[in-house]
Formats: sequence, structure tokens, C-alpha cells
Amino acid sequence: MKLGFKHEWIETNIGLMVVITMLAISVAGMVEIIPLFFIKGTVENVAGPRPYTPLELRGRDIYQDNGCFYCHSQMIRPFRDEELRYGHYSLAAESQYDHPFLWGSERTGPDLARIGGKYSNAWHVQHLIDPRSVVSQSIMPGFPWLATTPLNMSDIEARMKALRDVGVPYALTKQEYEADVKKFGPELAKQYYIPNAQQNIIEQANANDYDGRKNGPITEMDAVIAYLQSLGNQVDWSKVNENQLVKDR
Amino acid sequence: MEWFMWFTKFEHTQPLVLVILVVLFVGISYYVYGSSARGKRIESHKNMIFSDDDDKR
Amino acid sequence: MSSVAAASPYALGADRAAAGVEEYNFDIVKKFTIMTLVWAVVGMSVGVYIASELAWPFLNFDIPYIEFGRFRPVHTTSVILGFGGSALFATSYYIVQRTCQARLISDFAASFTFWGWQACVVLADASYMMGHTTSREYAEMEWPLALLILVVWVVYMNLFIGTIMRRKQPHIYVANWFYLAFILAVAILHVFNHLAIPVSMFSMKSYSLFSGVQDAMTQWWYGHNMVGFYLTAAFLGMMYYFVPKQAGRPIYSYRLSIVHFWALSFMYMWVGAHHLHWTALPDWTSTLAATFSILLLMPSWGGMINGIMTLSGAWDKLRTDPVMRFMIVALSFYGMSTFEGPMMALKEVNALSHYTNWTVGHVHSGALGWVAMITFGSLYHLIPKLWNTRLYSVRLAAIHFWLATIGILLYIVAMWISGITQGLMWRAYDQFGNLQYSFIESVAAIHPFYVMRMIGGVFFLSGVLVMVFNVTMTILQGKREERQALAAGGLAGANV
Repeated sequence: MKLGFKHEWIETNIGLMVVITMLAISVAGMVEIIPLFFIKGTVENVAGPRPYTPLELRGRDIYQDNGCFYCHSQMIRPFRDEELRYGHYSLAAESQYDHPFLWGSERTGPDLARIGGKYSNAWHVQHLIDPRSVVSQSIMPGFPWLATTPLNMSDIEARMKALRDVGVPYALTKQEYEADVKKFGPELAKQYYIPNAQQNIIEQANANDYDGRKNGPITEMDAVIAYLQSLGNQVDWSKVNENQLVKDR
Repeated sequence: MEWFMWFTKFEHTQPLVLVILVVLFVGISYYVYGSSARGKRIESHKNMIFSDDDDKR
Repeated sequence: MSSVAAASPYALGADRAAAGVEEYNFDIVKKFTIMTLVWAVVGMSVGVYIASELAWPFLNFDIPYIEFGRFRPVHTTSVILGFGGSALFATSYYIVQRTCQARLISDFAASFTFWGWQACVVLADASYMMGHTTSREYAEMEWPLALLILVVWVVYMNLFIGTIMRRKQPHIYVANWFYLAFILAVAILHVFNHLAIPVSMFSMKSYSLFSGVQDAMTQWWYGHNMVGFYLTAAFLGMMYYFVPKQAGRPIYSYRLSIVHFWALSFMYMWVGAHHLHWTALPDWTSTLAATFSILLLMPSWGGMINGIMTLSGAWDKLRTDPVMRFMIVALSFYGMSTFEGPMMALKEVNALSHYTNWTVGHVHSGALGWVAMITFGSLYHLIPKLWNTRLYSVRLAAIHFWLATIGILLYIVAMWISGITQGLMWRAYDQFGNLQYSFIESVAAIHPFYVMRMIGGVFFLSGVLVMVFNVTMTILQGKREERQALAAGGLAGANV
């Protein structure tokens, strides 16, 4: 049978080859990624998940900068053993404000998706400064500098504005603030009001005294522990319909 | 957007993709292996890398 | 296309000698080749160090800059972008010139890609140690560096395609198809994965445009296709040139290369979501990825079969030629890891293997076994040609081969055992249905294998050091011979 087509057309025409190769490699991304932004239920509709407070946000940045996510996942899978060890499996809704996501890909150390509230602040301080003084067989590096490095909060407004640009409901205007009050309640809405960010950091750190030094300087340790204590305990499970979760997946 | 949502259902796209892939695969395979004359012609290109051999080490 | 060249293959050498200028830009190839070896030593040394940190955590010394979480991306970036990247620039520039019989269209642009790329890797490494990272695996460089890489990449693309357009052969050889797919795919992946809003013009910090599940999907679409196009397709391009050259016979089947080229280009892009099985990613996406992962076995093995069948006509050389041995082992590891990969992409297997060292072992059987071994083989072929001499010592190359092979085997066996141990311990129950082990018990249980993995790394690294010595001596020998030839008479060029 005679065909009108010759593969040599492509083999001798670099323009054609570029075009066809681009077609071949583009299909998959369009089919797999774009629908994730449109399909309802990709991010479950549950009550509770909220943006980070300014102090938690700085803690998250520091967690990220030190590469904690390489060894600690934040994504619990729907298996019985993981449920027993870590808690309810993670929902997409729980990382909806995470720019970037920090699900991780390895568990050199345990999963941290629901670490919040499991250990005291004092335990975290000791563990971060010298892990093996708390868990003798741990292979985690020590992070003693966190306790001595003052927290840089000079650019917190800029950071929150950048996050607002990518869709996190931090408030710059009165209307946005009102919207936050409606969605998250007055306490949190105050935290999300960008012009007050520095004040909010100082107040949250002093009120909770994460690093265990009353009235001392606010350190990176304060921020990291504030972040860790916020992880995984936001969803109101009493209002979650488990069957709907299964359907959404 | 209605037509677009149709594609988001895995039950719809799975057979669709399968058909497209099988047709493509059979087509390419037939083209490449279907005729011995065409095969010979295509295979002749593989010698081109030796056409620049100027070194006899 | 011009008809000046290619009449007689031997005419080229005479032309070149008569003109007194290099017909090809080999200078840029030499530079990238040397940096390939430099980055191999740097990247793999850091690799051995961070492997030691996991075995003996005191090695973190409470120093922020070398703490595991900051040092790991220094290892991955130095080996992937530094070592692998330099190797790909070197070989793509060499192959595109040789197969098109055309000089690179711009020496300046070529130099720019060299200095630009090296600057990217050095600055990226430094920035991770300072604590700047996007946290996207294998794309950790923050936005200013991502932009610099993009500029270098566009220049590279322009140079590569421009040189092909200037070719004296009507036909574009298959190796170039693979390099082309690699260049195009990496451009797309890099751009979309780095979409982010910087905190300010003067801040290194940026926040990803996407969040949560969409962000995860974008990152692993990137992550796995860096494996697919950067670490696979591009190195297949290398294979398609150097394996036939070293074996002295053409590739086994050109038809097979057509089929598996298009299949690979199309299918790789679908599989990234297998890094997100059982996560909050919707099931349809991860099922699709798993399906394509299985299908991908066919085009992957197409490449392996093509390479091995080419070599199989020259088994006799295998006993005497360590370069051939590097290539056949590289292809074997390629076949092995592209079998292991689809298997790990099955949801049931992934449930056990994910989050464990098995994944680390799998990556390294591809990275050390395939990427590094095919690079070593190609460089042992390329370097004597570039410096116009023989390899200083075939024996040392044979020693390198064994050090590397033993190193890989120690590495992946250690990671298999520890990975499966982790997976099984995490899901073990006692007689009352409670978890049998605490997490820290699984950490303690795999300590011996962390040590074994580190030893494997030391083997592999010492092989590289042997190669560096061998290559240095080869280059010195080439330069000495050149001086002698010049001293022997001004007419040296006439009797090439």
C-alpha cells in the first residue's frame, strides 16, 4: 500500500520536528493538570482549614529554608497503620493555603501533618536544639541557631502581600478584612490584616511564649514552633461527612 | 464549559484515550514495519554517523 | 543545503588542516567536558557527606550551612545540573556538529551558555547553603536563578536548532531528536514549575503561584519529567551516537528508534502523578499516571534493546574494551530501573515503597547505573578524540569500571533492604492489632544500611577520582604530542 506520508519529512525538517515534538509532550500536562483547577471536590469543602498567622507563616518559611520537608512528609495516606500512627488521612483542603505545598516525598523522620498539639512547646525547643537529648536514636540534625537568631519580621507585609497576590485571603482593605471576619471569625481576621502584621507577630509570640524565654527576644524558634503547633488540627471533624470525602477522591 | 466537563469524567476519557492511542500505535507500527522497501529506506539513514569519520585511530 | 562537504568522508580532515582553523567548535566541548568531571567530584563528594550525616548525625556539627536539609539540594543540583548538565552540553554540542557537519552558529553564544550555566550551578548551591529554596525537588533555585537558567536555556535552544538548520546533511540523525525533545521539554517544565510571585525585587523569596494539590501535581509533573527528558531522553541521545561509534557499527534498528522516540516523548509526560499515589490528589489522576507508567515500559525498553543489540555484534570487544563495558552496564541498569519504575508506580507496590529508601535506591540505580555510566563511557570515547590522542591508560578505565559497578551494587542493595524494612516495620501490627514498632525503631533498624550506602558512595566516588587522574594524564599527553608534532616540522598538517 502506498502512503502519502514519509517520516523523512520530519527527519529532514527541523521546524516540523519541533512542532510535532511540542504537540507530543504537551498533551499530558493539559489533560492531567488543568482539570484539577476546575473539578469540584478536588479540594474538599470542609470547615476549619485557615491561612497561617504571620508568626506561623514566618515559621513555615524557616521550616522550608532549612529543608525540613526532605525528611518529614506532611501527607498522611488512607491506610490503617498511618491512621493509628499519625491520625486521619490528609485532605487536599488542608493544604489549600500552602504556597508551595510541603507534602514531602520521604519519611526519613515521621510525618508531621498532624504534629500540632502532640508535644509541648518545651519538648519542641529541646528537640530542635539537641534531638538526641530527647530521642536517643534520632538522626535529625540539631538546629540550635533557631533559638539564638532573632526573627526577621521586616518584610512580613511584603510576604503577606505576595501571598495575597496568589490567592491567600490576607486583607489589605476594610472590605477584605470584613470578608475574613465572616469566614474565619474576628480573632483570626485580625491576624490576617496585613498592616498589623508585625504587631500580630509580637503579640502572638509573647502570648504563647513558644521558645520558653518570657519577655526575651522573638526568635526563629518561636516562629517554627508556632508553625508546628498549627499543623493538622484545624479541620472540624465533627462536621465532616466521611462518605462525601470518599466520593470526592 | 459544559463540553469541557465531559472530559473530566474518567469513564469518558479512558476509552477515548485508549482508542486514540491504539490507532496511533498501530499506525506508526504499520508505517515503520509494514513495508520492507520503506523499512530498507528508513534503515539506510543509520549509517550517516560514519560519514564524518576522518580519524583512523 | 550546501554541497561542499560530505563528498568524501576523508576530505573533511584535509580541508580542516589546509584551512588551519578548526572546522568545529571543540573548544566549548572541551570546557564542558572538564566541568563534567569537576562537578562529578564536587557533587558526589557532597553526596557521600550527606549519606554520612544520615549514618552519623554528629556530622551536621550544628552548622546551618551543611545541615542535611540545606546540603541535600547542593548534592542533587551539583550532580544533576552540574555533572549531568555539563555532560549534556558537551555531548550535544559535539554530536550536533559532527552529525550536521556544521560548526555551532555562534562561539559567543556557546561561551555564554558555558559561563551562564556554571554560574547557575555555583550560585544555586551557595543559595541553598544560605537557606534559600523554593522547596520544589530538583527545582530548588529561587526566582532570580530560575530566570538566569531560562535565559541560558533559550540561548542553548537557539544555538542547537540554529546549528541543525545550517547542517550539510539533509538528514537529522536520531541522537539529535532526543536532544531536541530534551531541550524543548525542559524549557516547558522549567517555566511552569517556577511560576511564582517574588516577595520583592530585592528578595530571594517567592511564593508559588499554585497551592496544595495543584502545586503538588505541577511539581511532580516537573519532577518526573526531569527524569524522563533530562536524565533519560537526553542521555539516550548520547547513547545513540557514542554506542554505535564505539562499537564501530550502526545502531541496531532505525525503525525501532522512530517508534520508541515518539512513544517516549508522548508517554513520559503522563506519569508524574505516580509520585503522589494515595495522597490528596484525586484518584483519576493517579490512576492515569499508573496506567501510563506501565505502558512506558515498552518505549523505555525499545531504547535499551536498540543499544544492547548494537553492542551485541561486538561481544569480542567487550572483553578488552572497558568503554564498551561501561556502555553495556549502563544499558542494563537503564533496562532494570525502567522495569523497577513501572512496578513501583503500581498503587499496591507504591503503598509499601513510597516514603522509604527504596525510592532513593531506585533513583540512584538510574542516576549512577544509567546516567553516570553512559556518561563515563561516552567521555572515555570522546576525550581522546578531543585532544587528538589515545586514552592514557585502559587499565585505569577498567579499574574505574569495577569501582563504579561495585559502588552501585552496594548502594542499591542497601537501599532496597532498608526501604523494604521501613515499609514493613511501619505497617506491622502486634497480636492486639496495635502498631508493633515506634517510628524511631525503624530509624535505628536501618542504620547499618545507611553505613553500607555510604561505603557504596565512596566506591563510586573513588572510581571518579581514578577517571579524573586518567583524563588529566590523557590531556597532558595530547598536549605533549601536539607540541612534538609542531616541533617535528611545519608541514605536520600535510600528512594528517
